[in-house]
Amino acid sequence: MLGLHLSWEFPPRIIGGISAHLFDLSRALIRRGISVHVVTCNFPGAPDYETIDGVYVHRFEAYAAGDSFIGWILRMQKSMERKVGELVNSIGPFDFIHAHDWVSGVAGVGLKHLFRKPLIVTMHSTEYGRRAGLHNDFQRSIHEIENWLCYEAWRVITCSHYMRDHVAWCFSQPQDKIDTIPNGVDVTKWSFPFDHWEIRSRFVSKGENLILFVGRMVIEKGLDTIILALPILLRHGIPVKLVAVGEGPQRETCQRLAKDMGLSEKVHFAGHIDDWRLRALYRVADVAVFPSRFEPFGIVALEAMAAQCPLVVSAVGGLNEIVDHGVNGLKVSQDNPEALAMAVERILEDSGLRNRMVKNAYEKCLQVYNWDRIAEQTLHVYERVLKEWEAGVWKPI
Amino acid sequence: MTLLRVLILTWEYPPKRLGSVADHVFNLSHELVKQGYEIEVLAEDDLNPGIQDVAGVHVHRVANPIKTHPNASLLTFAMTASVAMEQEASNIVYHFRKRGEKIDLVHAHEWLTTSPAVTLKYAFDLPFIITFHSIEAHRCHGIFGPINIAIQEIESMGIQESAKVAITTEWMKDEILKYYGKNHGNKIRVLPPKDWIQKMKNIYGEVVKTP
Repeated sequence: MLGLHLSWEFPPRIIGGISAHLFDLSRALIRRGISVHVVTCNFPGAPDYETIDGVYVHRFEAYAAGDSFIGWILRMQKSMERKVGELVNSIGPFDFIHAHDWVSGVAGVGLKHLFRKPLIVTMHSTEYGRRAGLHNDFQRSIHEIENWLCYEAWRVITCSHYMRDHVAWCFSQPQDKIDTIPNGVDVTKWSFPFDHWEIRSRFVSKGENLILFVGRMVIEKGLDTIILALPILLRHGIPVKLVAVGEGPQRETCQRLAKDMGLSEKVHFAGHIDDWRLRALYRVADVAVFPSRFEPFGIVALEAMAAQCPLVVSAVGGLNEIVDHGVNGLKVSQDNPEALAMAVERILEDSGLRNRMVKNAYEKCLQVYNWDRIAEQTLHVYERVLKEWEAGVWKPI
Repeated sequence: MTLLRVLILTWEYPPKRLGSVADHVFNLSHELVKQGYEIEVLAEDDLNPGIQDVAGVHVHRVANPIKTHPNASLLTFAMTASVAMEQEASNIVYHFRKRGEKIDLVHAHEWLTTSPAVTLKYAFDLPFIITFHSIEAHRCHGIFGPINIAIQEIESMGIQESAKVAITTEWMKDEILKYYGKNHGNKIRVLPPKDWIQKMKNIYGEVVKTP
């Protein structure tokens, strides 16, 4: 089986979450015996062609002038189609195309018809969800393009049941055309020796509890809810400090909020930090809190689970499906600082609960969010699609 | 007997008329059919999609799947319509392939159909001829903003990737050389006002080296 993955980002080019997702998925698919070719945008210093753990990576010249982000994205995808045309001449036909979001799906639609091979689209996110509605023509245009991809796709993949329902509603897709396959986490990345206290002491003093937040600082991630919960914890006599990792337009707003509440000393804005340091931080934190208001999946929850860090999340989107309340983490309603403070307090006070949840969470990473299992589920989608395609009349010959 | 089978790509074909290109392509397609060529015309037309046989000319009209284009962008319009054109062009290619026949070459008109022509070239190993009735630098009296730059890049790609450039005046040839590089001189062919159909047939013959 020879599969073609189209993506606008692949390491070392990292823009959003698709890059890391496809990096792990493609290598896991190779381990299942599929031949995978990734066609992706070029990047300074990255070769035009290379193999990574058996994955063939082909990079094309992605630069092209455009009158807007959409104009560029569409022109870039014309270059992507052309690159695939050249590729087919050298490696022969592929069996299916797997595109990720509208930033590579348009090329997927063109290539589907050019080579008469089935198109599978993963909808990692939607324009409607990203901005909580469609407010201008740029958004409406992207929304129409996303709708078109889902229409043209043989099957659509989403990372959570929440996203399955959202995509079905957003683009009037039948539920049975959508497969839900979660994101994964590689737990081995979290097991390395390091000096716990050396990392901890950079942020907290002895006896102080470290609350960790990781995410883009945008409204939908809900960082402000944690800041509002801090005084409740302090009033209860629990010494805490919040370490917030990430950047975004809400950073300044949250910094001002902390200052106005007299909590500047209790909140540390760490900005972007490198992968190794972040993984170490997950391991030394006393609790990780993700109070999102919108979350297609919530990969940060898997990271905390892999690091065996106790977890409090808001019960929204994918987070609601990852966490079983009281089993592998605690869930609270969104925008509720009181409930959040109570959950954090419960975790900090009850070591039995904490240890049980951390163990279950780690186990769930191995059982459910395991890339080999995810690759197998993805392979089932490919096999089903190819079987249906085989039985049909829409063929190149 | 069929001399050659040509797939003509155009943004406008009657009844859709935006400028003079519609009638130029209409005359070209009907004259060629009269002289024994087999012509498939593929046009963008949101209001009249479908396939028609008009006096032997097979006209395929496709609608743009995307209706909202911010700031009425012709660029995003052309890029999304391009995919619809590739879809129908593929249907045509596979239709003939099933009968053991083929398209011999593609003839694109204007930057608006350059992208599908380039895609078809690489996907199906199909050579294309391109005709520019006007160029961006003239239409906009200069290259001012990002959209002009983008369209000029697409025109440049059309000249670069095409097998031959067929245009209607010597002046246009000078202009193309001025804007897109002197090195393209040997692939530009100028159609005379009289007998231009004959000249076009010669250009087709140059590109398709029939055994």
